[in-house]
Order: sequence, then C-alpha cells, then structure tokens
Amino acid sequence: MSSPSPTPGTNPAPEAPPRRPRLSLDFWAVLTSLALAALVWGGLVRRVPW
Amino acid sequence: MSEAVLASERRTTLVPERFLRLLPGIALLFALGLLGKLTEQVLRDYGKAHHLALPNIEYVLWAILFGLLIANTIGVPRIFKPGIATYEFWLKSGIVLLGARFLLGDVLKLGGVSLALVAIELVAAIAIMVVLGRAFRLKPKLTSLLAIGSSVCGVSAIIAGQGAIGADDDDATFAIAAILALGAFGLFAYPYLGHLLGLSDHAFGLWAGLAVDNTAEATAAGAIYSEAAGKIAVLTKTTRNATIGFVVLGFAIYWAARGQAQRVERKAAFLWQKFPKFVLGFLLVSTLATVGVFTSAELTSLGNLSRWAFLLTFAGVGLRTDLRELKRQGLRPFLVGAIAELTVTVVTLFLVLGADRLFTL
Repeated sequence: MSSPSPTPGTNPAPEAPPRRPRLSLDFWAVLTSLALAALVWGGLVRRVPW
Repeated sequence: MSEAVLASERRTTLVPERFLRLLPGIALLFALGLLGKLTEQVLRDYGKAHHLALPNIEYVLWAILFGLLIANTIGVPRIFKPGIATYEFWLKSGIVLLGARFLLGDVLKLGGVSLALVAIELVAAIAIMVVLGRAFRLKPKLTSLLAIGSSVCGVSAIIAGQGAIGADDDDATFAIAAILALGAFGLFAYPYLGHLLGLSDHAFGLWAGLAVDNTAEATAAGAIYSEAAGKIAVLTKTTRNATIGFVVLGFAIYWAARGQAQRVERKAAFLWQKFPKFVLGFLLVSTLATVGVFTSAELTSLGNLSRWAFLLTFAGVGLRTDLRELKRQGLRPFLVGAIAELTVTVVTLFLVLGADRLFTL
C-alpha cells in the first residue's frame, strides 16, 4: 500500500517511522526445521519418502 | 453478516498477500526439482533396460541445468520471482535438518579440521584478492568486497560487508554477480576435476566447502559428486560461514581507521549480529540426534526432509543465475575474481590433499 506523496514544500524532512526489526531468514529456517523435526518426532509425520 | 462473508474476510486477513505471492515460484522450484529427479531415474532405467553405460548424472545437476536454461533463454516471468527467492530459506532449513545425519562428535572433529583449513584459506584468499585488485587497479572497496565474498561465503558476506565498510551499491552488485557466475562455473568444474584427480568423497567435500564461494553452490557441487561428499561440503562451508563476522569486522576496522567507514563501537554485538544463526540450529539438531532423541526411522525421515529442502534450493540456483548480468557488468573485475578463484582453488586443493594424508579423512 503506497501512502500519498507529500506536497512539495509542506513536509521538507519527513522522518521515517521507527520500524519493528524483522525476524531474520535464519530465524524462520531454524523455526521451520525444528517444527518439522517435532512433527516427525511426535509421530505426526511417520515416514518422509525420497 | 453471513458466515460466508465472514469466512472470506478471515481468509483475506489471515493469509497475507505476501505469502500467496511466494506460491507460484515455490511451485516452479518443486516442478523443476521433480523434473530433475525424474530425468535421473528415467535415464538410469533406460540405460539398464538397453544395457547402455550412460553417465550417472545426479538430479542436482539436472535441476540446475533446467533452471539455467529457463532463466537464460525465455527468462523467468515476474510472478515466479518472489517464490524463487525463497531458495535461501530452503537451503538454510536443509542444512539445519542435515544436522540429524551428523553425530556431534563428528561435527566437532570435522569442524576442527575444517576450521584450521578455513583459517589458511581465508588468509590466502584475502591476500590474493588484494594483490590482484591493486595490480588491476580496481576500486579499493570493490576489492574489499570481492575479498570478503571469495574468502567467506559469497552473497551474504558481500551484503554484510557492504554495509560495514560503506561501499557503493554498484560495487556490491558487481561483486555478487561475479561470485555467482564463478560459483555457477565451479559447480560443473569442481566435480569434473575431482573425478579426474580421483578424490575421495571426504576430500572432495572438504575441497568444495573450502573453494566454492556461495553456500548453495558449494552444497550442490558436493551433492553432484556424491551424497557423502555433499554432507562434508555443507559442514565445511558452514564452518567457513561461521567466520563471516570476524572477516567483515576486520575490513570494517580497516576502513574506519582510514576514516572511510563508520567505527564499530560494540564489537561483540557486531560479531553476534553477523553470525549465521542457522549454524546454531544445525548444532541443536545434531545434538538431539546424538543424544538419541530420534529413532533411526525418524533420522531417515529428517534426512529425507533435508533432501527435499535441498531439491528446491538447487532448482533455485539455476533459476537465479543470469549469465547476461555478467556481460552488463564488464570484464575486468570478473577477470580479477576468476584469477583469484583459480589460485584459491589450487591452494585449497593442496590443503585438502595435505589434510587427507595427515588426518586420514
């Protein structure tokens, strides 16, 4: 979603709002892997074929 | 408000658009990976049925080749791009799950040998790149980025380095394109050379992990050689990745001392911030496997999950390698990268052959 662009002259130095730090790819990769490992360990995924 | 409307509203808010945009690309990764697996099987069966000695080409190579072919002929339509970019997520998940196939003792032993070799490789790669950068009169910061990329771990190291030493976007784009192109070349060259030299799976895995710059390409080069080589390549490359913070910090301090980059005030925090956290996940899963949390059938399943994750990664490697990008970037810095890589390749080969004798890998 794009915000309307400021009118020239009225808002010379708009400060960027503080952004929440995004969780890193590493975090998601580890979380997903551990969740999958838990599914296998808990017996919800019995056999992964290859 | 009817239930149907409520449900549809819930769907639009619960399933973010960002996630949906990933699906076409992920489906393409799956399709290419499966096509690679199918091609390997069909060729093997055909050879058996007709008593032909066809070369046994791993699905890895097929998946990458199909990806390269699409990306460099018809091109990848925009709708697939966000999903293809997830290949790095699959790579990291694959590595974490691969922890299940390693006993912690082996990780520490091999990690120790790798770390010693990585230390030598780092010094050699940085020194070679700096000398060549000066000889070919490259911009000093571009040389630094190429040195970081070729010594540690390709793309993520270059991105980390760019911010830390305050290099231009152009330099980073070029360094990334050069590292990726060299990686794509290495994918085919290393397994071929390995077979030519008759390297063992261990020695080859160690070599690929030390010499191939980007983690996805190092993993693929190992897997093309053999599954055992793939495992060792991942472990060695992961050890190399773990040094990223130290190398980037070194360059940041160098450029800050010259007043051309911001000073790093909190060095321990900097090191932690740059440390690839997925390594911790790998160690955790390896520890769980070592203490006997998983049965052998479960370990097999986790290993297979890791293979599926790598399957998607390898398809992504081919799809995101745009050889035309290289033409646009000019030849000189690429030549420097190529000469440096070649030297690193030879140095690491001798290291591996030496280690092979010393440690009987």
